[in-house]
Amino acid sequence: MKIDLEKCIGCKKCADYCPVGAISYIQDEKNPKKKKGAIDLEECVECGVCFRAGVCKPEAIFRQEIGWPRSVRLAFSDPMIEHKNTGVPGRGTEEMKTNEVTGRFKRGTYGMAVEVGRPGVAGRLEDLEKIAISLAKIGVEFEPKNPVTFLFEDVKTGKLKPEVGKEKVLSAIIEFVVKPEQIRPVLQALKDISPKIDSVFSLDLISFPEESEKAPALKVVKEMGFPVYPNGKVNLGLGKVLNK
Amino acid sequence: MTHTLHRTGDLQSIKEDFPMLTHVARGFNDQGASVRLKKIAQTMTKYTDLHFGDCKVGNKYLMDSAEIMDKLTVGCQVVFKDKESLIGCMKELKQIDQGISIVVSGIFEEVFECCDKAGLKPPLIEFALGVHGNTKRLWPPEILEFVTMCGHGLVSGRLVKKMVEDIKKNKITAEKAAIELAKPCLCGIFNPDRAAKLLKRMTGQL
Repeated sequence: MKIDLEKCIGCKKCADYCPVGAISYIQDEKNPKKKKGAIDLEECVECGVCFRAGVCKPEAIFRQEIGWPRSVRLAFSDPMIEHKNTGVPGRGTEEMKTNEVTGRFKRGTYGMAVEVGRPGVAGRLEDLEKIAISLAKIGVEFEPKNPVTFLFEDVKTGKLKPEVGKEKVLSAIIEFVVKPEQIRPVLQALKDISPKIDSVFSLDLISFPEESEKAPALKVVKEMGFPVYPNGKVNLGLGKVLNK
Repeated sequence: MTHTLHRTGDLQSIKEDFPMLTHVARGFNDQGASVRLKKIAQTMTKYTDLHFGDCKVGNKYLMDSAEIMDKLTVGCQVVFKDKESLIGCMKELKQIDQGISIVVSGIFEEVFECCDKAGLKPPLIEFALGVHGNTKRLWPPEILEFVTMCGHGLVSGRLVKKMVEDIKKNKITAEKAAIELAKPCLCGIFNPDRAAKLLKRMTGQL
């Protein structure tokens, strides 16, 4: 995003809307007594919140032309933008939301997701790469339909295309399926890599309700010191196959 | 797309917070889904008016709800503040049987109780296992309660602080500030009722 300095009146209404604090006010070259808005393009994730907030009366905020690799910021930070490879707006896939229809997660396995940058911090994709490489080393296979998978130079090693590492996004998700015996090494890998991450990451576990109580997954999670929130997502099971 | 997961806050506050979403399964039930999604959206919004939207289209605080309903192709979201209206909605969604997936987030015990009363048997659940990495960079817990209500991270912690300041200066009411915070959440899962209560607590009104 950019601010047209000719139009900006320096009202300072837009800055608070920016989730990553990329908007500041700089001295107006033409009138040193005044300040005007400026967006730090290194920090801006192209989420479009400042533009959509509708607080800029002179309409000085605009989206510039964005090419590769900066377009990655847009794709992972503005949910209105649809990823070309998944067709899903936002950062992930349908994951557990439609599982009663797609059968993507099978009984006896667990879905896991690592979301870099969330909540409210944002992050560079080089953080995601560190996590992906550590997971790939223990044989995790990344979800092929996740937009992040499209960014890997080598999906088997978790190495990203070199030009995207410095791109900053609101968040990006690594999704994968694990067998019960993989849960402990996956959690250990995440524990080991955690101090090397500049941003933050949120962690999810997808399970069948009857298996989550009986199976050792949550026991392992708790044993290893990971919290389990009392709140989470519940698929109601109302989906069906309808396409002809 | 885990956007309704990872909401933080004290239990009492989260007990009044149930985001609901519907989403087509691509390749399985997406053909001609707009009509079905519209019917689902009409049912959802009959039971809650707190928020409504879809990230591909926009939310009710940015555009007319009827216009959103006409543009739905993939899914939509609402948020509930109580179990009674959630159960009522679940029952009707089951009865209208549109065949598109529905997901509800909230305290597991509470959601399971609602499912039971609505005659639903959930096939799959998703747990949140915390936040890791450089957690020193996180917003303080009282700000995170707002920020985590938009899973896409579109609600700025700075805006929360600004709203708190403006309420203290009597520039805006807690209810209006909560709506202002709900606007950036395109999907419609930010809960303005919960936000207004949190804002009142932060500004000494509760």
